[in-house]
Amino acid sequence: MAEHPEVSEPEEARAACASVSVVTAEHPAVARNVAVTGGAASLTPPMDGAPMGQPGAGAAAQVRHHHRERAVVGDRWIARVLRVGAVVSGGMFVLSLGLEAMPQSERVHVAIDLLRKGAASLLLVTPVARLAVAGTLLGLRGEWRYMAMAAGVLGLLAIAVGTGIQA
Amino acid sequence: MTVLLLIAVGALAGTLGALLGIGGGIVLVPALVLGFDIPVEQAIPASLMCVVASSCSAAAGYVHKHLSDIRLGLSLELATVMGAIAGGMVAAMVAPAMVAVVFGLFTLYVALQMLLLRSPRQEPAAMDDYVPANYPLGISGSFVAGGLSSLLGVGGGPLKVPLMAYGMHVPFKVASATSNLMIGVTGAASVAAYALRGHLKLALVSPLVVGVLGGAYVGSRLMPRVPTAVLKRLFAVVLLVVAGQMLWKGGEGLWPSILK
Repeated sequence: MAEHPEVSEPEEARAACASVSVVTAEHPAVARNVAVTGGAASLTPPMDGAPMGQPGAGAAAQVRHHHRERAVVGDRWIARVLRVGAVVSGGMFVLSLGLEAMPQSERVHVAIDLLRKGAASLLLVTPVARLAVAGTLLGLRGEWRYMAMAAGVLGLLAIAVGTGIQA
Repeated sequence: MTVLLLIAVGALAGTLGALLGIGGGIVLVPALVLGFDIPVEQAIPASLMCVVASSCSAAAGYVHKHLSDIRLGLSLELATVMGAIAGGMVAAMVAPAMVAVVFGLFTLYVALQMLLLRSPRQEPAAMDDYVPANYPLGISGSFVAGGLSSLLGVGGGPLKVPLMAYGMHVPFKVASATSNLMIGVTGAASVAAYALRGHLKLALVSPLVVGVLGGAYVGSRLMPRVPTAVLKRLFAVVLLVVAGQMLWKGGEGLWPSILK
């Protein structure tokens, strides 16, 4: 990343994070969208913005650090769900293409059909699972508003699919 | 040979989709219809399936790098789905051709503005140094994007990325990464609707998805390294293509009634 290397470069990301934490301490409103480890908002919790240097600031910083760690873990879970869905369904599609090159028989046809149906279903379920995981993780963090939003999206999509409306 | 060509088209669409947060349907539908003689009713669900694949593959990398704003994505996703359902409900009452012309003109305006005018607002120095502004605008815009998506069959990306980047003051790359995260969910719901009607041809989808997954992975690795100015120009060109498609689609519907 030529323009903003701090996003993908951990070293510089930590430096950016240190400077950002000072800004967030002064402007709590900014903290809502401030980085976990130098990246964009992700699952970073809203911070209380306790002034540094006051009694209890160390404990507050520790709590914030703990929240950040959990946010990073949360992001990793979401990324993992997406990656596993993409890689496994992609692998199944590749396998079905490979089977097409084999001598055709009834068993091969059935295998190709099953692989493709399974891969397509897995691919379609992946973003929905991502939404469910994000909602659950945000709910576990006590961010009920976002959990309700995720549940709302899932509910509306279920209604749309159930009634045949193209969402 | 056809399978290899489909994989290559998928890879191109996946790379473009991951770079710009638009899914890649803009490349796929014309390529499948014009280049492979595939009927539109089969090309659209196949393209939507590729949008889901592109979203999963690219968003995995973006979320891991904390480039996607999950909270913003959830807020706008809710508005988009509500808009899509509203669009589906009023589809019988509005003329899609007129909507396509209006959307085409609006897209043309945004594309020309991105190409010709210099943005007065500077991109923040770091990806985390921003606060999304104008939530009412973002939410209402996403509602409209969802409605247009269900009325015209266009993905929400071409509307939501400029909305987040220019309307809500989100860095362009974060807007693109967040759009990549969002389009998968609505795409999956749309594909499910087509699949229930039996319009999803898996023999066509298989090579396309394989290409898209690979292309989106490459695009998600490339995007953080590409300068924002280049991405904006590329996005503007893509918007011009969308505008052309929409004006063509609208014109096809409106000309016969005007000539009468």
